This record gives sequence, structure tokens and C-alpha cells, in this order.
Amino acid sequence: MIASTKLAKAQRAMQAGKEYGSANSEIFQHAPPETPSKRKLFVVVSSDKGLCGGIHSSVSKATRRALAGSDQADPASPVMVIGDKSKGQLSRVLGQNMTMSFNQIGRDIPTFADAAGVADLIVKSGVEYDSVSIVYNKFVSAISYEPTTVEVTNEKLLKESPGFRAYEMEDDFAKDLAEFALANAIYAALVEAHACEQSARRNAMDNASNNAKDMINKLTLQYNRGRQASITNELVDIITGASAL
Amino acid sequence: MSSATWRNVFTYNKYAQITERAVRQSLKETERVAAEKRGVTALRYQKWENGVGGAQVYLNPEEDKGLGKPAV
Repeated sequence: MIASTKLAKAQRAMQAGKEYGSANSEIFQHAPPETPSKRKLFVVVSSDKGLCGGIHSSVSKATRRALAGSDQADPASPVMVIGDKSKGQLSRVLGQNMTMSFNQIGRDIPTFADAAGVADLIVKSGVEYDSVSIVYNKFVSAISYEPTTVEVTNEKLLKESPGFRAYEMEDDFAKDLAEFALANAIYAALVEAHACEQSARRNAMDNASNNAKDMINKLTLQYNRGRQASITNELVDIITGASAL
Repeated sequence: MSSATWRNVFTYNKYAQITERAVRQSLKETERVAAEKRGVTALRYQKWENGVGGAQVYLNPEEDKGLGKPAV
């Protein structure tokens, strides 16, 4: 089976990574922002390599839908892309919104160092945002995935939320927590998207192999029929020729 | 404890990565090799202005020559 050991490894990493993601999002469930965030930064998670079916286009389409539906987000929201394939697709349509792009992620299982690097660059880039929407492919099963969004609020909204204010503490921690939570969320999204991509690649290659096999069989039958027909014609010619002598 | 001044220099993620590297390098040999793999990143990024991408920059400049150098 093509790529099934890679898929198993990716799925194991995904299970572990999802724990980080769910623990991370618990904070935001208990401390939801009072006012819905106005300025969203979209981070699109895909990868550099192709031959994986509709993975990159599904994420790109979901981002375009989110930006087109103006009730959800401002059409001029900044967009950051991880992965060259989606970068190519989105730069044609949303080129004006693109602020930064990342690549060289996804060759192997994504590490937390990758996610921390991305989160670091986002925070240092100086782009203004109230919350970050991470668009990635959610692993539904070994043969299906769907694009989803995960939101991470920034330190200002976190500090102002009533759930957070119930605790008295120095202000510094909200900034650290917001940055670390962003890295965690990106990590969870990266590993899940990687697992989706491996399974999609395996399915796409299986389908391609099966289609090619079917085509070979059909064409072989056609070839043999044609060959036998021409032999029969030649025999008929010879026989009629012989009988005429 | 005096207030930490590292917050003026780098973000919490960078701080965490430095401590991660210290912990990894202090492990026993076999565990250390496994743990070093988790700290590897070959990230490249580029800034975009008006639909045009800038130059691609390696986050860790040693990465472009060799492989497997840990982050930070």
C-alpha cells in the first residue's frame, strides 16, 4: 500500500497534537471575548507538495468564502499562508490581503518548533488583529476531511474578557499566554492538516492506480479484439484468393 | 524575583524555545537524539506587499547549508 506507514505515523502525531489543541481551546471557551473580534488575521495551513487531491484547494476556497461573506470578516483582512501550494492559489485572488507566507513545513511531521517560529513571526510582524482565525483541514476519517477554522484571541481581548478578569494577576501573563496559545493552536492545526494531507495523498494515489489498471484492462481487450479481427480478415482474403485459383 | 527583562527583547515563544533547547541538551544520549528531532525546524518565510512577495528568508540561517540543526 502506498504511503500507509507514513500515514500511520502522521495519525499518531495528530492524536498527540490534538490534545494540545483541545487543552488550548479550553481557555478560550472559559474566557470568551465580550465583543466579537472585528479585525481577524487569517492563517491558512497547507503544504508545499502536491499530488494530494483537493487538500490545498479546499483550504483556499474556505478562506475565500470566509472573506467574501462580509458578515464574517472584513474583505481586507490580512491573510498569512503556510505552504507554497495555497500561496500560489491565493496570491492570484487575494494578493492584496497577503501579508506573509511560510514554507518548508510539512516535509516531515510538523514540530512544535515550526509552530513556535510561525507564531513568533506573526506576533513580531506588527500586523494588527483582534483574533487569529486558523483555517486548516480537519481529519474526519481516513477517506474524508473538511476545512475548519479555529479562533485564537489576542491578549487585549483575552484580558478584557470577564472570565479572565475573575483572576487578579499582573498584566504580563496575558501577553505570554496569548502568544503561547497561538503557537499551540498552530501546532495542533499543522499536525492535523499533515495527517489529512497524507491520507488524501494515499487515497489519490490509490484511485489513480486503480483507474490506470482499469484503463489498461479495457484497452488490452480492445487491442486483442482488433488484432483478432485483422487476422480473421487476412485469413478470409487468403482463403477466397486460394479458392479462386 | 525581579521583573523579567527578557520580555523587552523577545517573545514568550522564543523564551520557551531557548529553555526547550537547554532541556534537550541535558538529556541522556539516547533520549537526546530522539528529542533533538522534535526541535528541528527549517522554516522559511517571505513578506508580501501589494500582492508581490519579498525575498525568502530562512528563520534559522544555518539551516540552508545543513539539515537537522535544532531551532534557536
